[in-house]
Amino acid sequence: MTEDRWHDHEMLDCDTVMQQLWDYLDEELTPDRMTAIRAHLAMCARCYPQYEFERAFLVALSGAQAEHSNPEALRKRVADALRADGMLEV
Amino acid sequence: MPDHDDAKRERDRQFREEALRWLPHVTRFALSLARNESDADDLVQETYLRAYRSWHLYEPGTDCRGWLFTICRNEFLRTRARQQREVDLEPPDLEARQAAAVHDSVRNTMLEDIWLRVDLAPAIQRALAALPEVLRSTVILVDLQDLKYEEAAAVLGVPVGTVRSRLFRGRRQLQEPLLIHAQDAGFAPRRPPSHGGDIQ
Repeated sequence: MTEDRWHDHEMLDCDTVMQQLWDYLDEELTPDRMTAIRAHLAMCARCYPQYEFERAFLVALSGAQAEHSNPEALRKRVADALRADGMLEV
Repeated sequence: MPDHDDAKRERDRQFREEALRWLPHVTRFALSLARNESDADDLVQETYLRAYRSWHLYEPGTDCRGWLFTICRNEFLRTRARQQREVDLEPPDLEARQAAAVHDSVRNTMLEDIWLRVDLAPAIQRALAALPEVLRSTVILVDLQDLKYEEAAAVLGVPVGTVRSRLFRGRRQLQEPLLIHAQDAGFAPRRPPSHGGDIQ
C-alpha cells in the first residue's frame, strides 16, 4: 500500500495535477489521490501558485453570499402564506 | 374527524421541523438565483407553498435541503420564463488549460493575490448574475451552499460529470470579469510574482 502511494506521487505530472486541481480543492478525490496531489503541490513551484490563486478565489467566492436585508419579515411572510394555505401552528 | 385532524397536525409538525428549518438556506439560494430581493422573496414563498402541498412526496429522513433547492430552482426556471442558453461544455483537459491561461494572464499582470486584496463581493454577485443559469446554479450549490458534487447533481437532476464540467466552466467565467473589475478599480501590484521552476 505504502509503495503504491509513493508511486502515485512519483507518477503525477503537472498536467494531471492541473486537470484535477478543482477536484482537489473541493475534496472530491480519493484519499490516495488527495495525498498525491498535496505532495506534488508541496514540491512544484509551477503548480503551487495556481493552487493558491484558485484556493483564494474559492474563499472570496464563498464569502460573497448575499444576505437578506430583513429575514424576519420574510419568515413572517412565508408563515402567513402557509397559514393561508391551511397549515396549522406555523 | 379527530383522526384526520391528528394526521394533519402531525404532517404539519414534520413540515415545520424538517422543511422550515432550512429557510435561511433557501433564502440565500433564492437570493443568488434571483436578481433582486423582491423576486427572491416571491421565490422563497412559492418554494415553501409548493413544498407544503407536495410534502406527501417527501421521504422523511432524506435530504430535505436538497429537495427544497430542487423545488426552488424549478420554480425559478418556470417563473423566469426565458429560455436557457445552451452551454457547450469542453473536455477536462481543455478546461484545465483555460484555467491555467487565466492564471498565467494574472501572473503576467502581477495580480496574483488579487482575491485577497480587493473586496470583490459586489462584483462577484454581479458576475454570478451574468452567468448562464445552468452554470450559475451549479456554482451557487457547490461554492456558496457547500454541496458535494453528488448532492448538487441530485438537485440539478444531472450526472456528477455534468456538475463538474459546469462548475469548472462557471468558475472560469467568473474569474475573467472579476479580474477586469479589479484592474478597472486601479488595483496595483504589491510585488512581482514568482516564476516557475522546481523548489529544490
